[in-house]
Amino acid sequence: MSRLGVGGLLLAVAFPVLTGFHPYYLYLLGTGYLLASLASAWGLLAYAGQISFGHAAFFGLGAYTTALLALKLGVTPWLGILLAGGAGALGALPIGAAAHRLRGAYLALASLAYAEVLRVLALNWTGLTGGGAGLIGLPALRVGVELELARERAGGYYLSLAVLLVALAVFAGLRRTRVGLAWAAIREREERAQILGVSPTSYKLLAFACSGALTGLVGALYAHSVRFIEPDLVFGRYFSILPLIMATFGGLHTLLGPPAGALVLYLVSEFVFHPLLPRLHQLPYALALIGVVFALPRGLAGLIGRR
Amino acid sequence: MALLEVERLQAGYGDVLVLKDVSLDVRAGEFVALLGPNGAGKTTLLRALTGLIPARAGAIRLDGERIERLKPYRIAARGVAAIPERRRLFDELTVRENLALGAYLDPARRRAAETLESLERLFPLLRDRADTAAGLLSGGEQQMVAVARGLMARPRLLLLDDPFLGLAGAVIRELGRALRELTDAEGLAILAAGQHVRRLLRLAHRGYLLEEGRTVLTGSGAELLEHPHLRRSLLELAPQRTG
Repeated sequence: MSRLGVGGLLLAVAFPVLTGFHPYYLYLLGTGYLLASLASAWGLLAYAGQISFGHAAFFGLGAYTTALLALKLGVTPWLGILLAGGAGALGALPIGAAAHRLRGAYLALASLAYAEVLRVLALNWTGLTGGGAGLIGLPALRVGVELELARERAGGYYLSLAVLLVALAVFAGLRRTRVGLAWAAIREREERAQILGVSPTSYKLLAFACSGALTGLVGALYAHSVRFIEPDLVFGRYFSILPLIMATFGGLHTLLGPPAGALVLYLVSEFVFHPLLPRLHQLPYALALIGVVFALPRGLAGLIGRR
Repeated sequence: MALLEVERLQAGYGDVLVLKDVSLDVRAGEFVALLGPNGAGKTTLLRALTGLIPARAGAIRLDGERIERLKPYRIAARGVAAIPERRRLFDELTVRENLALGAYLDPARRRAAETLESLERLFPLLRDRADTAAGLLSGGEQQMVAVARGLMARPRLLLLDDPFLGLAGAVIRELGRALRELTDAEGLAILAAGQHVRRLLRLAHRGYLLEEGRTVLTGSGAELLEHPHLRRSLLELAPQRTG
């Protein structure tokens, strides 16, 4: 690992102590890590050449899975989160199967429609999901101390950090295996990958399953952190478009670009734009997308020449 | 029995039938040249043989088994490697990664290190530029990596589309010698299309002339070099001793 990486990791670990366990900063950065994991999950799929406009589908499935298990069956959130990862993976398979026939923009639109279908389903299946009113009173995760919104948040902070690190380690490992090689080949040129013996369909399915699992996991963590979910939030466009912008801004096809892009954009949005322009605090996301398109085609990673 | 048999094959794109009547065969250990003017269907034929475009009629047999309906990766798994013309590498991936993809399937994967070692003797740049993104190499260097990637698969049948394009004369001679050695010593079957007519025919055991989607002429390399029709069709304007 590079010196920069070790330094960043040490800083992240020491951060709660350095800020005197300031709950707001811990909440902000913890949320930043979750968004960074979400961007990484999206970036993993993009690494295999598949562009999604509908990651909210997997995020929402994860959130609703753990919420319903906890509220209806009394399942402990820890198990709920793991099962939410499974739900995200399963939920990604239909789109992965569609990727067998659909390419590029058509696949992206199909994924957008898929997330919308799930949102409308969650809105109208009132008996199960509570409909538009959402589900309230989700249990908090216990990591030593209870991770409620206004209380001690160090446990949640470290949990989010751990999820991000595990996600990155898994992605980094996969990139070095034949799976990662096949993903890159399919992304670069599917036809050529095929004549070398790579079966695109199964590797695309695997990429969707991995990305969906991580996204579902993050959705579940988010649900237990906020302790309230509703269809328009967890299945909404916000969680579909955000990872796309963050990962593209950070640098497509790189390991650290998407999470770095996520942290930079989220923190700039919260620290700089929120105090200055409260009603326009999401402006940096739009500016970042425009900037990448016109000036930084390879994103932040392109600035420092990383792969 | 021939390793590859193509019988009255028809194939094309959309409404356009490019291959109208193609029949040929390649035996194990044989180097076969596929010649023809631009637009005759050479590249289309190689694409049909790798499964990238479907056959409309006719048959393609590998070891006697029909393969014209198989997916490209299934055909690759049966020991067919192809080196397509131009833009043949994964530009964003390193030379090393490109070569690893060449040996993606078993049993080639288990012997990848050994294969690579022998290929590095033929093309030292495979070692020298191993960590360079393939897209940053010159055209000639890319062609060498592409050929090496094809050989990494340790195929039974190697399909080459314009293998000498962009290579310097000395490299062409050396590559030609290496390919011919693979056919003679290891039983590799090669079907090579290209514009370097004399070079290919001197290397080849046999050749086929493709015109307007039909195989119109076949014979040994020496016969074809002297054949008046082939000379008229392909060599008329070319100087006597080149390639």
